[in-house]
Formats: sequence, C-alpha cells, structure tokens
Amino acid sequence: MHAIEAQGLRKTYPGGVEAVKGIDFEVSEGEVFGLLGPNGAGKSTTVGMLTTTIVPTAGTARLVGHDVARSPLLARSVSSVVFQEAVVDRGLTGRTNLELHTRLWGVPPERAKRRTTELIEALGLSELIDRLVATYSGGERRRLEIARALCSEPQVLFLDEPTVGLDPRIRHELLDVIAGLRARDDLTILVTTHYLDEAQRLCDRVAIIHEGSVVALDSPQALLARLGREILEFRVDGSPHLALATLRDRGIAAEDAFAIGARITVPLHRHAATEALAAIESERLRVSEIATRVPNLDDVYLQLTGGEVREAA
Amino acid sequence: MSAIAEPVPVTLRAPRRTRTTSALATLARRRAALTASNPRQILVPLIGPALLALVVAPALTIATGGLHSHIDYEAFVGVGAVGLVVPLSCIFAGLSVIVDRHNGAQRELLAAPVPRSYLVLGNLAVALVLSALQVIVLIGLSALRGGVFHITAHGVAWFAGAALLFTVFMYGVAETLASRIRSQEEYVGAVPAVAILPFFLAGALFPITAMPGWLTTIAKFLPLTHALALMRYAFVDPSGKGLHDIWGMSNVTIEAWLSLAVVALFAVALTTISIRMFSRSAVS
Repeated sequence: MHAIEAQGLRKTYPGGVEAVKGIDFEVSEGEVFGLLGPNGAGKSTTVGMLTTTIVPTAGTARLVGHDVARSPLLARSVSSVVFQEAVVDRGLTGRTNLELHTRLWGVPPERAKRRTTELIEALGLSELIDRLVATYSGGERRRLEIARALCSEPQVLFLDEPTVGLDPRIRHELLDVIAGLRARDDLTILVTTHYLDEAQRLCDRVAIIHEGSVVALDSPQALLARLGREILEFRVDGSPHLALATLRDRGIAAEDAFAIGARITVPLHRHAATEALAAIESERLRVSEIATRVPNLDDVYLQLTGGEVREAA
Repeated sequence: MSAIAEPVPVTLRAPRRTRTTSALATLARRRAALTASNPRQILVPLIGPALLALVVAPALTIATGGLHSHIDYEAFVGVGAVGLVVPLSCIFAGLSVIVDRHNGAQRELLAAPVPRSYLVLGNLAVALVLSALQVIVLIGLSALRGGVFHITAHGVAWFAGAALLFTVFMYGVAETLASRIRSQEEYVGAVPAVAILPFFLAGALFPITAMPGWLTTIAKFLPLTHALALMRYAFVDPSGKGLHDIWGMSNVTIEAWLSLAVVALFAVALTTISIRMFSRSAVS
C-alpha cells in the first residue's frame, strides 16, 4: 500500500472544461512528491480531489489506504493541506487557529498542546502567535498555515503552491522550513509548484503535468539526465525548423532538440559545444544569443510540451 | 517513466476520530469568536426591532388606542419585533458563510475530518445563542418601556420553543441562500423578501385578521405567523387569540401544539435543505 494512490483521476467541470484528464501515480510513505506544471495545468484540481474538496468525475484515489470517495472522513483524518490561498482566520490569533485545527482533527488536548508548542518554536512563530493573524505578513501567515497543517500530525501533507506570491527571501526561508520536514520519516508530502528550483530542491520524484495529463514522472535528476549534462541554446534568424533539420542531418541535434519560436535548444549529450558551434558556422546559419548551460526542468517541460512552466514575466 | 514507486509498507496509525460534540463545539467556538470580533453583527440586527419596541409601539398605542382589547399593544409589538430581529440576525449569520467562502476559510473546514453537516450545525448553534440574547434584550427593552408581559414557567417554555424553532428555520433559510447566492451584494438584496415581507404579513404589528381575507389566508402558511402567535400566547395573551385566528378551534392548547408542530416542520425542512445545499455547493 502506498501513502497516496491515484488511478485514472479525472475532473471535468460544468461546461465541459477538462481540468484533469486521467492521472495515475503512487507516492510512497516518507516520499516528497512534486506536481510541476504551469498555472491551469490541473495541479490544484488534483490536490482538491485528493483532499475531497473537489469531487472527481472519474477515477479513484486513496490516502493511506482510505478511499477518498468512500471513506472521506478517514482520508481527511490522515491528511492535512496548505492551500494556495491563505485560509487562516484573520480575525483570530495564530494560537486560536492552531487550537481549532487540533480539535477538529481530534488530537487529544495534552498532545495538542505539546505539539503546538513544538511547532510554534520550530517555525519561528513565538513572537507572533498571540497576535491576530490580520497583523501577520504573507510569509508569517504561510508559516502559520504550515504549523497548523502539521499540528494534527498528518501522515500525508499537501502543499499547494506553498511559496507563490512571496518575495524571494521569504520563499527561500520557507523552502528551508519545508526541506526540514523531509527529515520526518513518517510524513509523506505532495507539493504542487510551478517553480523549478522548488521541485528540484524538495522532491524525490516529480510528475510534470501539462493540460491535465502527466507527461513525465521521475526523479528530478533522472528527468534532467534525459537532456544530458549540457545544452546549447541560440536564436536563429530564418526558419528555426530548417535550422533544426540541418543540425539533425549533421548529427549534432538528436530527436530531443526542439524549437520554441526562434529559439532553438539542443541537448548536446556526447557532443562538445565547440563541435556544435562549428557546425552552425559551416552551415552559415544566422544565429544570435548563443549560450550553453546546464539543463533545468523547464527544458524538460519545453521538450515534452512546447510550453514553459514559468509564467511569462 | 517510473510511475510506480517501490511500495514501502505504510506505517498504519489508527486514524483519529473527532467526537461529535467536540467537533460541533469547536466549529461553534470558531464562529462565536469571529462574531465577537465583529460587534456590528450583534448590534445591527437589534436597532430596527428595538426602535419598533421603544418608539413605534408606544406611538401607535397613543395614535390608535392600541388593539382595543385585553392585549397590551406595546407588548404585542414587542413580541412582533422578535419577528424582525431573528431573521435579520440569521441573515447576518448567513453572510458570514459567504465571507468564509470568499476568503478561503471554508476550504480548510471542508478538508477537516468532520461531516459537512457539522459546518452548518456549528454555525446554527451560534446563531441560536445570538438570537436568544437579542430576543431577551428586545423583550427586556419592551418591558422597560411599559409593555405588559405575563411571564410564567409554562409561558417561558412555549416562548423558548417557538423562538428556538423559528430561529432554526430562519437560519436554514439564510444558509440555503448563502449556498445558492455567490456574492454578498446579491445576498443582501434578498433581505426584503426573506425578512421584511413576512414581518409585515405575519401579524407582527397587528392581528392577521385585520388584513384582507386572502392575505390572512397567506399569513396562516407562514411559520412566522405561528411563531408569533405562540410567543404571544406565552407572554402576552394567555387566551391565545392569535392562535385562534389561525386555527379557529376551541382548545388553545391543541392550537398551540399545532402551531409548534408547523414551526418545527419548517425548521426541520429548512435545516435539511440547507445542509444538502451546502454540501453540494461547497464542493465542486
């Protein structure tokens, strides 16, 4: 039995919008699993179905063996979720928010008190905890939400875009906090994100989601290894597809090279960059902005889907 | 594509079950704390009805001579004002549901391991307490202003039963509307139809028999009419004239039980409907 199992999960909203088109994955206990994709890919809808706040159109899902449709109360009792939007009660203090959560999740009072004290300390909330949440900053609110989700000692924790909207410094602090959760052997984490560094830093395995379907699923390292250790990127003046075909004929570009607009990305694999540049020159391709770099998950996504994970600036 | 991870035996911990009383108490506590942080929700529903009891009823008594019967008109209107304070209070409470939905708090509650009906019932508990306090203040103000009330233990039981069941009904209406209507502006727009119109038709300011026959007939189908008649039977008119205007029987006790049953039926029906509507609309 896995901590999270999803089989053929599908969600079609009224009006025929197919947000999730049949997703399958399993997550082992203690694993940190990422759902990576741009806004609108179906990540939050998938989390919604797993946390019973969205009714699946088809398919099944289980949390620690509890079917989310047949035993929703049991499924909810073993899990906790930090939603993308802040959902703490701003009219209450941080401490009251934590206490309410532990009571709703049935944590015995003595244990709840110990647990909330530990988490307040661990997440740096001591000075804030008795203030109204309305006075918290975005990052403080997010830390409170994580504390709240953890104080019921869930076996499965869902983090839906946990750092979205936060400034870079607070994002990195929060990633440190989340990374620290990995040390807990019995906590399974499913995190959705469109930030590549989050996925690479936090996740044991990542499912890349595009338009409601999983297009790749593996460890970040394995996904990146598909593109080799180095990629060559440049802009071409003229037909990018012709340029790509030319490089393929010369044996420089393989099937995984791709063009997005005028930008061409070539995983070099066993070729050296100099070799590729020599081929470009000899074919008299008019190019600019030539660079080599280490591939990232965005390149994996682009290669699979032709789109970008990151939002356009 | 390694879609399947190596299955690792999951450390099964017995899932915790939240006790019913604990879950309801927690949800009610949350709602009470949020309400207390917004005093307007407690005071605003009282303003109109208090004016009715303190100003309008005495003025009308002077202007018209009252009901020209054994029934004290100021007490009559004091009870009638309950028919306004409870709907307004419940409508405000329903507004909180929409606020919860818009600010995301409802999602956290939906992810909690408690039946969805508890989210409605927890809010109802607070609406009941708040309405009870407001009704007590209103009757108190009316009495201080000179309204003549006949308070007995038997009367308190009838009054409490009628007021409680009517509040349950009205909260069911408010919660149902809050599930159907997505915006606060639209929701507030429903107040005249839900709270004001029945107030004028149900005998709050005058006996229902003072209206044209067809309106009197309509009034008999309103739960507020029965609730007000019961409350007046309890505190204002032990002869139960209001009940007799509805049922036309010779036994006032039977008439009282019948009216209580009507209000109870509406209360159960709207609570059931509101729970179903909430459960369906809260989860997409």
